[in-house]
Amino acid sequence: MARSRAIRILSRLALAGVVLAGGAVAVVLGAFEHSVVGAAVDAPLTPEEIAALAPRGRYLAAAADCAACHTAPGGAPWAGGLAFQMPFGTLYATNISPDPETGIGGWTRAEFHRAVRDGVGKGGRHLYPAMPYVSYRQLTEADVDALYAFLMTRPPMPVANRTDSFPFPYVRPAMAFWNLLNLPSKTFADDPAASPQVNRGRYLVDALGHCGECHTPRDLTMATIPGRYLEGNVIEGVEAPDITAAGLAALGFTTDGLARFMRAGLGPQGVMSFAMYEVVHHSTQHLTDTDADAMAAYLAGTAPPAAGNGTTVAAAAAAPSQPAAGTAMPGRQTYVELCAACHGVDGEGIPHVAPAMRGNAALRLPTARNLLVATLRGLPDHPFPHGEHMQAMPGFADLLGDAEMAELASYLRQTWGGRNADVGADLVAEIRRGE
Amino acid sequence: MTIATVPLSLTVNGRPVGPIDVPADLMMLDFLSEYLDLTGTRMGCGQGICHACTVILDDADGAREIRTCITGAHFFAGKAIRTVEGHAERDADGNVVRLSAVQQAFVEHFAFQCGYCTPGFVTGATLLVERLRRAPVTRADLERVIGEALAPHICRCTGYVRYYEAVRHVILTTPGLVEG
Repeated sequence: MARSRAIRILSRLALAGVVLAGGAVAVVLGAFEHSVVGAAVDAPLTPEEIAALAPRGRYLAAAADCAACHTAPGGAPWAGGLAFQMPFGTLYATNISPDPETGIGGWTRAEFHRAVRDGVGKGGRHLYPAMPYVSYRQLTEADVDALYAFLMTRPPMPVANRTDSFPFPYVRPAMAFWNLLNLPSKTFADDPAASPQVNRGRYLVDALGHCGECHTPRDLTMATIPGRYLEGNVIEGVEAPDITAAGLAALGFTTDGLARFMRAGLGPQGVMSFAMYEVVHHSTQHLTDTDADAMAAYLAGTAPPAAGNGTTVAAAAAAPSQPAAGTAMPGRQTYVELCAACHGVDGEGIPHVAPAMRGNAALRLPTARNLLVATLRGLPDHPFPHGEHMQAMPGFADLLGDAEMAELASYLRQTWGGRNADVGADLVAEIRRGE
Repeated sequence: MTIATVPLSLTVNGRPVGPIDVPADLMMLDFLSEYLDLTGTRMGCGQGICHACTVILDDADGAREIRTCITGAHFFAGKAIRTVEGHAERDADGNVVRLSAVQQAFVEHFAFQCGYCTPGFVTGATLLVERLRRAPVTRADLERVIGEALAPHICRCTGYVRYYEAVRHVILTTPGLVEG
């Protein structure tokens, strides 16, 4: 009896296994994949259409920041090569110049659409979501056509793609499962309740700018968490801030101020740093006024909410908190000795040299992480559009211990950031170790 | 208006200095010039870029170069520094009797023209020589290491090649700085 029961259980398990395996094969083969690419793009674009669309494609490629990954620093234009350090190994951005051998010169219009919007490359090969196809899925057909036209009219760059260093060859097909869970079936649709400007802003933020790829927190499967849209994330060791309307207000951004900051890369809120410096350089500085305003209107809203620390943005900007007269916070003396020569005894900064600490958004962030990364390791020399400039900031890791650095950060955040003086030496030690 | 001062004591070129009442926000460069009459350390850009103002900070972590135009005097409380006035050998009356090897090489190689950046280059090159005494460099790495050590220093007379050659001469003619 027991033996036949065991056989029955085993055969059921085997059947379940076969069904699961069959299902898995079906997923990998794309049986459940939903393409958002319509049959209309099967027809190739004519040379005249390509020539007419390319200039618009140039602008869209800037707005979508394609160059950030597909032109490596110092590398050939659109020839790829930027390395992504992933937990499994290193991934390299690909050559998207129209070279027929190494680039996408042999790709049809439909194949390009499938790669950008479905995450499936020529020949059915799955892309890794380092390529933000989850965001680009929302691009309109017309915009993807323009991007295709722009790239196909670039000079071909015969630069071979580097193969990733992933130890398992089956990671790539497994992306089919990830897509099943994470790739939305819907494409971009205007919200009829919102103004045309706000709808345009949402398209720029979500589809082209793919802001949420860094600013929305991710779960264990590396999928963005929908309920925490744009609420901020720690990425490459620094905070990508909360850029919801409330988050931006807490950092001191008005709608107009945000639009100016994205295009100029600096302003009363400080200086775009870390990965956002590159984003300004490749992307946001090229936005038209209309588009920058639309992004800001969508992100910050047209009626800014109250700042997170309980004061309104306007009041916080007008009256930065000052230490009470006659009391010197620990950290003040370190500020005077090591920071004030450039950032000013009263936090006023030096134009074109060092940003003011008064009103600096970096001091208003929920944690001191970005402030500490900058202070410990320094920042490179930063040229900005229209001849604007900020000089290199030295790192102070070798001059200040963890406790002194924590006191300095607390002083800065309390004095000019409206934050509590609660930076711990343990956070300094953690960032010093590179965590 | 009275300026708030704080007493400051430190060691400069091997001698104890202070306590002297010094404004809390005074930069070290101004302290050296105005309070100690050590005017060899130069104000260049005032923003920490040109390195004309560097001195040697000797502390528990070893000797290092530090910019005095952007570092407050009180940061040096209790610490020991060497300025450009402290490199040459002097007699009991304080007269220079022999330049340091780096200074002598700069003179012999006509390394400087206006001389404004020279104190910073003396600081950077001296620290390099001291470092190589502790950890010699291979001959193959020598040129790169000199370049890296001098790179932060700006010379608007563009005397870089002669500074570089002077430092290489010192390193190659001083025993024990180059391996093999």
